[in-house]
Amino acid sequence: MLSEIKVTPAPHISQALSTRRVMGDVCIGLMFPFIAACYYFRWYAVTLTATCVVSCVVTELVCNLLRKKDNSLESLGDLSAVVTGIILAFSVPPAFPIWAAVIGSIFAIAIGKMVFGGLGCNIFNPAMAGRAFVTASFGIMMTTWTVPATINHEMPTIGATEGVYTTTEATKGTGKAVKPIGYDVRTEATPLAHSKEAIKNKSKAKALNGQIKAAFLGEVGGCLGETSALALLIGGVFLLIRKTIDIHIPLAVLLSAFVFAAIAWLIDDNVYMSPVVHLVSGGLFICAFFIATDPVTAPITIKGMWLFGIGVGALTMLIRIIGGYPGGVMYSVLLMNAVTPMLDRLCKLTPAGGKPNAKR
Amino acid sequence: MKKTQAYKSVAFFVERLRCSFPPRRSEAKPGRLTSLGCVINNVSRLTQPIRAAKPQPILRFFYLCDLCVLCGKSRYIGTVAKSLVKGSKNQFHFPGGVHPPDYKALTKDCAIAAGPLPKQVAVLLSQHIGAQCKPLVNKGVPVQAGQMIGKADAFVSAPVHSPVKGKVKEIALQSHAVLGRCLAVVIDVDTEGNSPLIPPADFSNDFDENAYSTEQILNAVADAGIVGMGGAGFPTRIKIDPEPPKETLIINGCECEPFITCDYRLMLERPNAVTTGIKLIRKAAGCKRTVIAIEDNKPRAIEAMQQALKNARGCEDIEVMPLKTMYPQGGERQLIKAVLDKFVPTGGIPPAIGILVSNVATAVAIAEAVTQNKPLTHRALTVTGHAIKQPGNFYVPIGTSVAELIEFCGGLTEKGAKVVMGGPMTGIAIGDLTSPITKTTGSITILTKKQIGRAKHEKRQTACIRCGRCIQACPENLNPTKIAHAVMHNMLETAQDYYMSACIECGCCSYVCPANIELAGYIKTGKALLVKQKKK
Repeated sequence: MLSEIKVTPAPHISQALSTRRVMGDVCIGLMFPFIAACYYFRWYAVTLTATCVVSCVVTELVCNLLRKKDNSLESLGDLSAVVTGIILAFSVPPAFPIWAAVIGSIFAIAIGKMVFGGLGCNIFNPAMAGRAFVTASFGIMMTTWTVPATINHEMPTIGATEGVYTTTEATKGTGKAVKPIGYDVRTEATPLAHSKEAIKNKSKAKALNGQIKAAFLGEVGGCLGETSALALLIGGVFLLIRKTIDIHIPLAVLLSAFVFAAIAWLIDDNVYMSPVVHLVSGGLFICAFFIATDPVTAPITIKGMWLFGIGVGALTMLIRIIGGYPGGVMYSVLLMNAVTPMLDRLCKLTPAGGKPNAKR
Repeated sequence: MKKTQAYKSVAFFVERLRCSFPPRRSEAKPGRLTSLGCVINNVSRLTQPIRAAKPQPILRFFYLCDLCVLCGKSRYIGTVAKSLVKGSKNQFHFPGGVHPPDYKALTKDCAIAAGPLPKQVAVLLSQHIGAQCKPLVNKGVPVQAGQMIGKADAFVSAPVHSPVKGKVKEIALQSHAVLGRCLAVVIDVDTEGNSPLIPPADFSNDFDENAYSTEQILNAVADAGIVGMGGAGFPTRIKIDPEPPKETLIINGCECEPFITCDYRLMLERPNAVTTGIKLIRKAAGCKRTVIAIEDNKPRAIEAMQQALKNARGCEDIEVMPLKTMYPQGGERQLIKAVLDKFVPTGGIPPAIGILVSNVATAVAIAEAVTQNKPLTHRALTVTGHAIKQPGNFYVPIGTSVAELIEFCGGLTEKGAKVVMGGPMTGIAIGDLTSPITKTTGSITILTKKQIGRAKHEKRQTACIRCGRCIQACPENLNPTKIAHAVMHNMLETAQDYYMSACIECGCCSYVCPANIELAGYIKTGKALLVKQKKK
């Protein structure tokens, strides 16, 4: 009758779902901002993303070989290294040097993920760990923002152009021209840098609110994949429809960021930027949909997800408004990653039938 | 006229939406701002016939557009908002759950036919929860059909009877799906003198339960050796005892497991037997309210039961409740939540909150035992799966071996790879095809290599990415991945901290896990280890 019968625990059927499919969905979702990045930054987007992805994958392979895992190649198939690579590329400036991107990728995978034991064991979001490393190491390059190729003129600035740029060497003066592959690209300060400046000078924040459309579409200076809130939103909605991510974290991040920005704005709208502009500028959207939702480093319960999201949003706004950096997404995600195990313990689930009697 | 049409079309869209979005956990709490599924529930009451329409996953995007259009129409904003705030009151849901493909079409239209008359039956002495029976017969003794061959000594136990006329060959250990090995009375079946295995006819609809006293019913049920036929096998005599008092009787016709259709066929073919059984249980246990719960993917069964109740004497107050098709809707605790919006306390049993849940097959068995004095020696079961030549529903003697049943159904095709006693979600894969069927075996499912190839154990187990899908699928609101990983590392206390014993072993967590972790398997192992540890 039967040559061999399998005997295993129930259930004997299962949903066609795999880690590769989950990560593949994230990759597809990230393609929308990638297209936007290609549109705004042309070849920068392609070369930088390719570099980061390739170096992440190679690093993971090397680490697997060093760990003498018997399935070194197979475990690359889960595409998690690809996701890390894309997100890392998206969170550095477009004109970021290739060699520095390679270093960042190696750090992200090797130190951010593999030393903890690989996928599922890392405490911090690998891409954000890599970005933190390059921010600390190559500060100037990390703040050299390139103006999108679609606009060749200066960004709308506040009144007199002097003094509104970030204080780094690279951006001092009026636009340091770089000549990449055939395009004239200028470096400029981002909306968030302007906002910081407005806070410092305690005035002229109102003028910034006019940028909302440009910031939503992505026609501003900023990190490679972070500028276009619209593309990120489309990608996020794609993930939501595919049920790859839950609505809880994105909603919590955006809502809490909005609330905190609104509080500041209501206090003095001359000093603080409008909350809507805050939402669409900087890395808040990519954080809400792609970075904070990384399942490995976010809490597992719904209550925990909300606390986590609120924490990320609040810390981001705290850094943007009070802290020393113009954008605060990276540090707030890393900080909240650190407290994730605590949140998980805090939000322990009770069984549906209530806690069992203590006498047991 | 136009108004109703417009309303209907809108309701249709809403209904399609409801079908396309499986309920999320938040829906379990009515009276709160909840997710999409809930909005829709109120409106959907008007659209019962459309419920059967199952949308393709690709269409989900368009349904989302539907909702946007719907919300744009100011007239319905009130309805939508009201249901958003108030939640749905008419149908409750348990949290979590999954929606596996049901494959019921394989045997849905196969009437319960006569099964094989086996050459030999092996009646296991432990087919229920509780103490094993004492054999009453010795080797070489002839037995009659319906003769008691195993006596129940303990309180929680049930006697077993010979289903056939024959001679006791031996009393020996046989494979048992749950226990591994168990003592069984093996009977050689006589070639002559055995009644043909025609499934019994339906009852008449004017049965009067008052002809029997409570005492009579209870004794008849105890003597017939009836146990819960849905799978757990708890002796029914204890369950239907008037003490402790029970308010509500829920008849479980959900049959949420994929593949199985024998209860469905019972409801279609013998609805009056079911109502007779219900009347007897109600009388014995003193229940005031009775609900027959049927999943809404069985519209014909709902109709048949409603019709039978209309015609039967004294059944006006019995209610048929269609429930959402969702696994594990037929789980006792989930069913109570869905029907009454009450949760049985963790570690407790339904009678503690005054509820009695009984399977339709059990009700039929009770009806037969009380009115015809017939012990539980045969049962309807489904032999199904994509790897069997002629799947169907059969009326078979308890003790028939699985191999004999498979042969009777035309044997296996080459694709066969796994024989499961029960459904694919909770059934037990058996390695020994001589295993006899028991009182609790609802189906034999033979799965193909392709089907099990998609199951977790065939693929490499990868690391948990903490995606939380298992948590959202868990109908008991547990943290399966935490428990399973604690068991993996032999940390039973941690596992118990996360309420391992509250697990109902439905297998939803394993079903959804993208990392191919056999979560339910680990949790079951952990529970077994815990029992072992406590014994020491």
